[in-house]
Amino acid sequence: MEFFFDLLSVLVLLSSFVLVSNKKITAYIKTFQIQSALIALIAGIMGWSIAVNEDKYDILIICVIIIALKVIFIPHLLYKTYGNIEYRVEKDFFMNIPIIVLICCGLVVFSYFSVSNIGSLTGFHINHQVVNSLSVVLIGFFFMISRKKAIGQIIGYLVIENGIFVTAMFSTNGMPFIVDIGIFIDMITAVMIMGIMVTRINKKFESINIDKLSKLKG
Amino acid sequence: MVNVEYLIVQIIVVIMAAPLVNGIIKKTKALSQKRKGAPVLQLYYDLFKLFKKSTVVSDTTSWIFKAAPYIVFTASLVASLLVPVTTMIDSVWYAGDLILMVYLFALGRFFMMLAGLDAASTFGGMGSSREAMISSLIEPSILVTLMTVGLTAKSTSSYQIMEFMKGVDAPLIRPVYLLTFIALLIITIAETARIPVDDPSTHLELTMVHEAMLLEYSGRSLALMELGASIKQLTFITLLANIFIPHDQFIFISGAGAVLISILIYLIKVIFVSILIAVAEVSTVKLRLFSIPNLAALAFILSFIGFMQHFVLGR
Repeated sequence: MEFFFDLLSVLVLLSSFVLVSNKKITAYIKTFQIQSALIALIAGIMGWSIAVNEDKYDILIICVIIIALKVIFIPHLLYKTYGNIEYRVEKDFFMNIPIIVLICCGLVVFSYFSVSNIGSLTGFHINHQVVNSLSVVLIGFFFMISRKKAIGQIIGYLVIENGIFVTAMFSTNGMPFIVDIGIFIDMITAVMIMGIMVTRINKKFESINIDKLSKLKG
Repeated sequence: MVNVEYLIVQIIVVIMAAPLVNGIIKKTKALSQKRKGAPVLQLYYDLFKLFKKSTVVSDTTSWIFKAAPYIVFTASLVASLLVPVTTMIDSVWYAGDLILMVYLFALGRFFMMLAGLDAASTFGGMGSSREAMISSLIEPSILVTLMTVGLTAKSTSSYQIMEFMKGVDAPLIRPVYLLTFIALLIITIAETARIPVDDPSTHLELTMVHEAMLLEYSGRSLALMELGASIKQLTFITLLANIFIPHDQFIFISGAGAVLISILIYLIKVIFVSILIAVAEVSTVKLRLFSIPNLAALAFILSFIGFMQHFVLGR
């Protein structure tokens, strides 16, 4: 069981690295879909073992919600937004991709050293699943600030959310049901609003480069 | 001290099986595009024919042009001796390890680049400069990957690593080996001029890398170059197959029969990895030359995180 969680947490980390080193919008969406599927698998395995041992089914329900929401609905929504806008490949970054990838690697090292100082979380040995999933949160942040276009930033937000969810799962063996549901509703509202925003920005400025928003200043 | 049986078995298996990998990859690609494709043994026929033909050498070339095919072929063959196809024969090969293998390939590649520049054709120069760029990008990833695996096994000799990996139960579900496996797969694709980095089926196009350096060669020299390249490809596939998917611990008999069974299973694994590479090749497009650093960075990071997972986090 532990081995599977190790493996899955590493694969989630791996998928966020693949995301960071990509340029195409369709590749972003597809990688996000795969990452969400991995997270659904983690929730499924954890929920199954809790359902068998303690007769509680809330994590299994959350697993189903993740599949419906993050694997099917949100990618579909993003593809639709993607169809409405002009550009296909992200061309300009604040840094070039190899440097971004190396900085993300530094973030993994950083999260290792920060987690190793939290006594109550680690106990005897470092909980490396938490290290990996915390790195996913930081990489999501960095992804968000390294992309200039709005869709990349939406994906960055979703990756942060994925990372927070997995961190919570691994450190507490499942949060209360109502908290998870609240987070999901927040997230879906945010993504829908951002999708509408992207389309509006695109119509107004004929580009979704957020640099152009500075023209709004008086 | 070198075991003579080992040398004979190794050289025969490597030379006989190396062109097969190209055939399988080409056949898989053709089948995925609903074509019939060339026969699996096509490269054997090509090499056989090329060895019988005479060589045309340009007047303006120096001795490097004539010597390069022999150096490339010999370097590849000697490097492939460092990666045993079966661990059933004790290789007793203390003379070299995986680091020597990497730099023997680098030697062959260096002479290939010189030969590409030697004929002074524009394509050769372009191919050489691109090859220099790709090889310098991918070399740190190779060393970090092999060092990570070597550190877990506490040896850099490939025979010792394979012996150690026999004792590891289900290597591919452990984070460190899974990550280094993926990194080594990317490296294999980049080193053997496969599609995301270079397209092996193009001739006379502006994007070619490996083919551009061989453009001036003909006859026996071309055959040696091609065979050297396919031996290099087989060596990397052997690393992937024998380190990460060990099989010799399931053979309980000993003697010549065991070696035969072991080599048969090894060939099945080679076919499996070749199909994996062909699938990777079908499902991607060739990258722009300036996107290759991204791929190299990804391979480097994968092996580094594998290192972290094992040595820093303790799994």
